[in-house]
Amino acid sequence: MQALTRYISPGWLLVAPFFLLVVAFYLGPLVNILWLSLTDPEPGLGNYRMLTESDALARILWTTLRICAITTVFSVVIGYCLAYAMVHAHQKSQNWMLTLLLISFWISVLVRTFAWLMLLGHNGVVNSGMEAIGLIDRPVRFMRNELGVLIGMVHYMIPYAVLPLMANMQTLDPRVMAASRNLGANGVQTFRRIYLPLTIPGIVASSLLVFILSLGFYVTPAILGGGRVLMVAEYISVQLLVTLRWGTAAMLGTLMLIGVLALLWIMSRFMRLTTVFGGGATR
Amino acid sequence: MQDKQFMKETLLDGARAYRAGRMDRRTFLALCGAAGVATNAVLAGDAQAAADHIVMWNWGGISEECHGNAIGVPFTEKTGMGMRFDTSGPLEGKIREMVDSGNVTADVADGDLFNAVSLGPTGHLEAIDYDIVSKERTLPQYALEYGVSVILYGYAFVYDTEAYGDNPPQNWADFFDTEKFPGTRSLYKWANGSLEAALMADGVPGDQLYPLDMERALAKIQSIKDDSIYWGSGSEVHSMVVSGEASMAIIWQNRGKNIEEDTEGRYKLVNNQAMAMPGAYIVPKGNPAGREAAMQFIATAQEVPSQLAILECLGMTPSNPEAFSQIPEHQQAYAITSAQNIDKIVFNDPVWWGENSSEAVNAFLDAIS
Amino acid sequence: MSEAATGGLGLTTLTKRFGGFTAVDNVDLEIRRGEFLTLLGPSGSGKTTLLMMIAGFLDITEGDILLDGASIRDVPADKRNFGMVFQGYALFPHMTVRQNVGYALDVRGRPKAEIEARVDEMLELVQLSQFGQRKPGQLSGGQQQRVALARALVFAPPVLLLDEPLGALDKKLRVEVQDQLKDIHKRIGTTFIYVTHDQEEALSMSDRIVIMQNGRIEQLGTPTELYEKPRTRFAAGFLGKSNFLEMADGTHALRPEKIDIAPQGGLGGNARLSGTIRDITYFGAMKKYMVAVEGREDIEVGVDSWRNPHALHEGQSVELGWADHASIRLEEN
Repeated sequence: MQALTRYISPGWLLVAPFFLLVVAFYLGPLVNILWLSLTDPEPGLGNYRMLTESDALARILWTTLRICAITTVFSVVIGYCLAYAMVHAHQKSQNWMLTLLLISFWISVLVRTFAWLMLLGHNGVVNSGMEAIGLIDRPVRFMRNELGVLIGMVHYMIPYAVLPLMANMQTLDPRVMAASRNLGANGVQTFRRIYLPLTIPGIVASSLLVFILSLGFYVTPAILGGGRVLMVAEYISVQLLVTLRWGTAAMLGTLMLIGVLALLWIMSRFMRLTTVFGGGATR
Repeated sequence: MQDKQFMKETLLDGARAYRAGRMDRRTFLALCGAAGVATNAVLAGDAQAAADHIVMWNWGGISEECHGNAIGVPFTEKTGMGMRFDTSGPLEGKIREMVDSGNVTADVADGDLFNAVSLGPTGHLEAIDYDIVSKERTLPQYALEYGVSVILYGYAFVYDTEAYGDNPPQNWADFFDTEKFPGTRSLYKWANGSLEAALMADGVPGDQLYPLDMERALAKIQSIKDDSIYWGSGSEVHSMVVSGEASMAIIWQNRGKNIEEDTEGRYKLVNNQAMAMPGAYIVPKGNPAGREAAMQFIATAQEVPSQLAILECLGMTPSNPEAFSQIPEHQQAYAITSAQNIDKIVFNDPVWWGENSSEAVNAFLDAIS
Repeated sequence: MSEAATGGLGLTTLTKRFGGFTAVDNVDLEIRRGEFLTLLGPSGSGKTTLLMMIAGFLDITEGDILLDGASIRDVPADKRNFGMVFQGYALFPHMTVRQNVGYALDVRGRPKAEIEARVDEMLELVQLSQFGQRKPGQLSGGQQQRVALARALVFAPPVLLLDEPLGALDKKLRVEVQDQLKDIHKRIGTTFIYVTHDQEEALSMSDRIVIMQNGRIEQLGTPTELYEKPRTRFAAGFLGKSNFLEMADGTHALRPEKIDIAPQGGLGGNARLSGTIRDITYFGAMKKYMVAVEGREDIEVGVDSWRNPHALHEGQSVELGWADHASIRLEEN
């Protein structure tokens, strides 16, 4: 027991029953999906072979990765600016900004998607406005294409990008930045050489979060993409509900799961995930 | 008969009382024994659904009210059974999942006839009992082993009269001609109708569409890809059209009628070469109310008054030939089996779609994305 | 230290207000080139605010700061060229010790070779030469403190500001580092402005001490001056210990160690008060007696333990005496 508690904190023993329960309820369905991907419609690796044989699948996966990557970059850059502004604002304005952020966080993805249609659609506020003041003579196509999907996804993801960054920035000691100024570094140097490196854990956490959540995006690409932007989540749903190729769906689900785990593993080789996800105590 | 009805009601009351804790288990078992019924037959699933009403699985919206009035009311008069709704939309995958899980909660699903072709042979559907359901009260090619067409809907198209003025598009060839008729097109995302329209536009006669030449159809669809957006639901195409995003759209003919009315004629529906799609009521295997009740329900839906009531309420066209001649004047232009339209339309082949829809949908998605 | 620099600072009617609160109130102070000046005061006395204004992190509400006669009021923090050692050190956790120390030269774009040489020199000064490649997290508190010092001195600032730099260290280490700091100050000759609330630190290191209270200078002087001639009750009480005696000409401060204590009759004619020993505390070098005197506050008496001429015990009646010049008359305020 002594030896055991040296490696496992006693807290773990307390939560062990719940931990096992959760593992059972999570792993059960996952194993089921893996099983389905290897047996439906017939046993074997046929579903996985499609990955190399089907140009369509390769293209869908490429579209998904490309859109998720672009979404991540924009969400994290914009989120970084917002988080910075919020952390360094006065308490009162900080509360205001946080409230606004959370309100947009809580609005359903469907509502937000349609709001973009109203705003940037063919007869939307922006197009009518620009036409009215003579900036353009025919509506600009913001929506129903990849641009539309990106706008909708970035907008949806920004709160997810902001929160880990804020958590990270709040732990920074302002005296460290003051020290840099005192030592003769200007604002840009201090940001680039001190602030930015110290917020890398936050950047990594928020990028991972946004990228992983983006992989599962379904409603926004379906509506704002005008049918031309097919991402893996929607494709899985089609295979489950319309074409009944559950094996293909399970294979893609497994693939995404493995992809996400691989991503986390690669990250863990560069930095401790506990610091990335706010385990500040173990430095 | 009277006794049987009484026994059934007693049992159901007993089941409710037992579950609500008002009757002890011993008494309930005794009651079941007296009625000669296995207890689990009463208790399994929803004992209420087991006998005193039928659950229709449809797509919600106004169809709940329409199906209730047009079919539910006469059905209740005929059988004494009520009608309830599950409005979550019976996609093929959901039907299969429901039957596979063994927890069947719906009796009749408002699906497509091609669903019957793909789900029937795999054991997910009850076969149609043609002793109760009439083969004559549907089109002959639409009375299949596991499904029967109760209504027809159609893929037609609408266009913007302001965009094309004096020389409006008249057929699928015009729809696919973006040089003569510039502007954005909107097509149905799940291939259905879009493929046939493309082949007709490419010169395939309407009665020689099947088996579909996928390559030729997709090539035609890709030829206007840069001018196309795609819709997945009726409300989506509706908003694409009225917001001006699309100047022409393949559309369900009943939705097209709504758009014509909403825009006071700015957008016009073209039923020429419209494709009639057999909508079917299909019965998940092991439905709670029993196969017979489901068949009675389908038979009720086939009757002329129900057929005309659905046309009025949902804009879905009768598939019972007896009703064709009774389509009222104001529906002549819209109902695809009206005397005005029936010679200009083509008929979908549910067997081809039932056997090939997976490949077709995936190939279509691949082509458009 | 060929490049050693030093500068004198003048603060004139310097004032800082936060809203309605005045943190620094009309301070005039001349800080001499090369001196070790300590700002001493309880928390909230304005000493840190004053330091932050000198560093350029806080705007000046009124008044001015002059460096060798020229105003630096509008010079931003990164252009003032003042070294600073922060409370908690504020080292850059993602950089090695060498990178930390070299930072100020690096951002000034100095050549690599010069930076390396200078960093070596600084690490030697603070005796950390073998720790150059470590990260701050791998160093002890005392070592971190020395890195912070080296980092602040590397660009030969004319003035070094130190904000409670020893606060995080344990007592034994603190005394050691005090000696090192003093030594370094002597060697480089830079003006040190040192903020602390610890009177022993202030007494042992400073050339001059400024006692601050409520944003104002309470008293300014050498440690000896302040200890021997406190002007106010606050100064006398904050720096060292004092008994306060009401006399005919006003309040007097009397240091505990300047009082003689003896059993009744033991002081002959020199006894001024008599009372009873209420409590005895033994401090090793010193013994502290708390003597209850009728009609007054308890009087604290400190006696070198080794002397202890009379074996006194609790409850004993004693008499107290002191030389005339031992008690200091305080200004009324």
